[in-house]
Amino acid sequence: METAAKLAVSALSDAIDIGILDLEKAEFYITEGGFTGLRYDGQDYSRITLRRALPVKYPDEYISVADKDNKEIGIIRSLSELRKDQYEIVMAELENRYYCPTVQEVRSVKDKLGYVYLELVLKRDDLLYKKNCAVKDVSKNIRMLDDERLAIFDVDGNRYIIQSLSKLDKKSLKRLEPYLF
Amino acid sequence: MEKHIPEYMLSALDAQGIDTSGLIFAIHTDSVDKGGNTDVYIALDSNNLYILRGWEKVVKTAGARRIVAVYEADELEVHPLSELGDLSCELLLSTGRLLSEKDDATNILLVFSLGFLSDIEKLIRVIKNIREGKQPFEEVTVDDELFCPKCGTRYPEPERKLCPKCMDKVSIARRLMGFFAHYRAKVAVIFMTMLAGSLFSILSPYIGTKFYFDEVLTEGGSYYGAVLGVILVMLAVRAIGTGLNTLYSLVLAKTVPWIIQDLKLKIFEAMQRLSVGFYTSKRTGSLMNRINQDATNIYWFFVDGLPYLAVNIFTFTGVIILMCILNLKLALICVTIVPIAILLFKYLWSVFRRFHHKNWVYSSQLNSMVSDSVHGQRVIKAFAREDEEAERFAQVGGKQSMVEIQSFNTGYTAFPLIYLFMFIGQVLVTIIGGNMVLNREITLGTLLTFIAYLSMLYGPLEFMSWVSNWWARCVDSAQRVFEIIDAKPDVTEPENPVILDRIQGNIELKGVTFEYEPAKPVLKGLDLSVKAGQMLGIVGKTGAGKTTMANLIARLYDVTEGTITIDGVDIKQLSLSQLRKSIGIVSQDIYLFIGTIADNIRYARPDASMEDVIRAAKAASAHDFIMALPDAYETRVGAGGQDLSGGEKQRLSIARTILQDPDILILDEATAAMDTETEASIQKALAELQKGRTTIAIAHRLSTLRDADTLAVISDGRVVESGTHKELMQKKGEYFKLYTIQLEGLKIINMDA
Repeated sequence: METAAKLAVSALSDAIDIGILDLEKAEFYITEGGFTGLRYDGQDYSRITLRRALPVKYPDEYISVADKDNKEIGIIRSLSELRKDQYEIVMAELENRYYCPTVQEVRSVKDKLGYVYLELVLKRDDLLYKKNCAVKDVSKNIRMLDDERLAIFDVDGNRYIIQSLSKLDKKSLKRLEPYLF
Repeated sequence: MEKHIPEYMLSALDAQGIDTSGLIFAIHTDSVDKGGNTDVYIALDSNNLYILRGWEKVVKTAGARRIVAVYEADELEVHPLSELGDLSCELLLSTGRLLSEKDDATNILLVFSLGFLSDIEKLIRVIKNIREGKQPFEEVTVDDELFCPKCGTRYPEPERKLCPKCMDKVSIARRLMGFFAHYRAKVAVIFMTMLAGSLFSILSPYIGTKFYFDEVLTEGGSYYGAVLGVILVMLAVRAIGTGLNTLYSLVLAKTVPWIIQDLKLKIFEAMQRLSVGFYTSKRTGSLMNRINQDATNIYWFFVDGLPYLAVNIFTFTGVIILMCILNLKLALICVTIVPIAILLFKYLWSVFRRFHHKNWVYSSQLNSMVSDSVHGQRVIKAFAREDEEAERFAQVGGKQSMVEIQSFNTGYTAFPLIYLFMFIGQVLVTIIGGNMVLNREITLGTLLTFIAYLSMLYGPLEFMSWVSNWWARCVDSAQRVFEIIDAKPDVTEPENPVILDRIQGNIELKGVTFEYEPAKPVLKGLDLSVKAGQMLGIVGKTGAGKTTMANLIARLYDVTEGTITIDGVDIKQLSLSQLRKSIGIVSQDIYLFIGTIADNIRYARPDASMEDVIRAAKAASAHDFIMALPDAYETRVGAGGQDLSGGEKQRLSIARTILQDPDILILDEATAAMDTETEASIQKALAELQKGRTTIAIAHRLSTLRDADTLAVISDGRVVESGTHKELMQKKGEYFKLYTIQLEGLKIINMDA
């Protein structure tokens, strides 16, 4: 049975090519207009879109690269396979799309008439700054991504992430505790 | 000239050398394109667009909403309007980009987080107006401050402009009470009987203890020895109290359901008035789901909460007053216990709320799993995943059990502790009161009455510690309900509607742009026309905007830009009911209401005779299958009724449209979901229906459109090609491509296109 399963898998991988990009032939660059472009295999794509296949668990793996018309050019198996300068360009584009500030501290949580008001301290580079936001339907919009990470989605569509709940200070954790599941 | 520049931005803009007196519009957004978040002030005068990046440091001061102490500017970009291209927004996941497009080159001006999208869109609109020589704020509403002017709290939803902190709960309560206006007499009876009932409850201990001990059992009392008489009085007091309580419960039970019925009817009527856009918007989607829950919340608060609140407040106040009258010193001791007990109860309820919330989440998860498992049994069995499913269920169930155990443990330990605390209070009163009795300061009857009254305070105390949450939930629900009742439909009847003698059916779309969601236009300046009595075929890929166009012609939505005219009159000027009655839509989504087949066919014209119904059914090739059903035209369909196939339902919907006898017919993928044989029979019915009417037919299968007088190919929200079948085939463009692909596909399965 095991052999048959293996055979089946290998048959599938032989039959369907998921289009992993040959990074040797790829060159990501920034266009004059500020977009991310790609030169690949003799073709020049002046405005590409990058999307994560597994944005929660493995944000740096299986990155889909699509052209201006949303047609997939190929997939980057892992960002670690990119050269440093290429990595920076790709990462900057991904961070724009998946912009999600990290929460350092939760200063206050107030539950009022169906909305939860949060006063958060967010981190940008080394600078900390404060942000007030409102969250509706907390059971949907404050949710654990895995055992450690918590995502908060506010009414404006902004996302915030707590990278490690166990490393969050006790006061912040206590304030959030009623909403953690 | 109209200007909109937040005052707090002026000094920062001024410091950059910008002439703020010439500014027309300024907005505050953020910028996330450098991996972080900066405060961006975007300002506009008639010549330039200024983008100032930096960091805003906000300091709150008493009395002021908010003031900006410092703005640390980082960089200023000046874009002359003459050099800027066409501005637009591109939505990413949690961000958006402000783009400028000129001479085939597109530049990113700013990457902002999604919350600022509506402001950026306004900016684009203002710039467009300036360029077109219009008033800058024409069709732009600049009223949505993001913060509550009273307390500075950010509005949770800017378009609702409701600050949960400052929301006028009193006016909401007054409005809710407005529903009671028709039932004034009954409400008066309820309150009077309720309060009278409470009065008798309060009097009960007084007569049963103080009066009985001091006046009946004590030598020298005014009714010394009259045990039987006083017992009868006590019984009478109790009986009257019980009678009053029963009476108010009965009147209440007869009144409140009608009030809630009024409320539900008002919501339902309001829902019928609202435009389709209201139902499809994301925000109201969740709102609609909550309607039932909201009405239930209001119902229970009025049935359970409000009457008991009144009773408890009355009892509480009455007991305290009586205590003070009996003995001020002892009353003060009792009163000191009250705030502590309230705080303890409040804390305990907050803990319980947490448990309840967790429990609710877990039980919803379990419910979803059961539902998943029931609907997905075939898949579960096919993949032999029964054990894993049970394991998944066990995991969540285990978590829920833990929460329940914690909740029970808290309840079983904390409540007795609070009652113990209150008992200590009672002991204190007994000790101090006992001494007072011994010192002859008070009588034994007074002490016993005090102890009885103290225990009467427990109920109101506990109730009042959580009724505020209940009230908050009720106000929240009422707010949502009023939001629906007050919502203004996007599509409204004009003040002086044009009523045409007869609609000929000349339709023209000029520069029609439409977006369901901001920054995502579905139609982009679409131009199209169809002459009266002719057939226009619309072709295009899925998502090209074909159905949207049909919805716009029927004015289910209003265009964002451009105009649609029927017989030369803008449809926004036409009488809405004439327009809707003149347009018949047969679409892929067929909805049959609960009722008989005859009722459903008659839906468009309830006064139609049975012969007309049969005529319409015959024209729609539906008569034969209807007659084959045991109850024929009286077969019940809709939810819980007879199952009909897609083709049968479609024929009923065509019959309905035939009976409507519209001047303009829109066929929106009417046969898309049918097999070839059914399609052929429906096509026959449709051909019957089209005779003499202006017809717009949207179809995926091009073979069904071959007879159209004109064909238009829509792609990416625009008409890219139009002409007859023959012309388009000769042109060898988009239509030719689509047709050839379909023809090839059909050849493979040996069919003709």
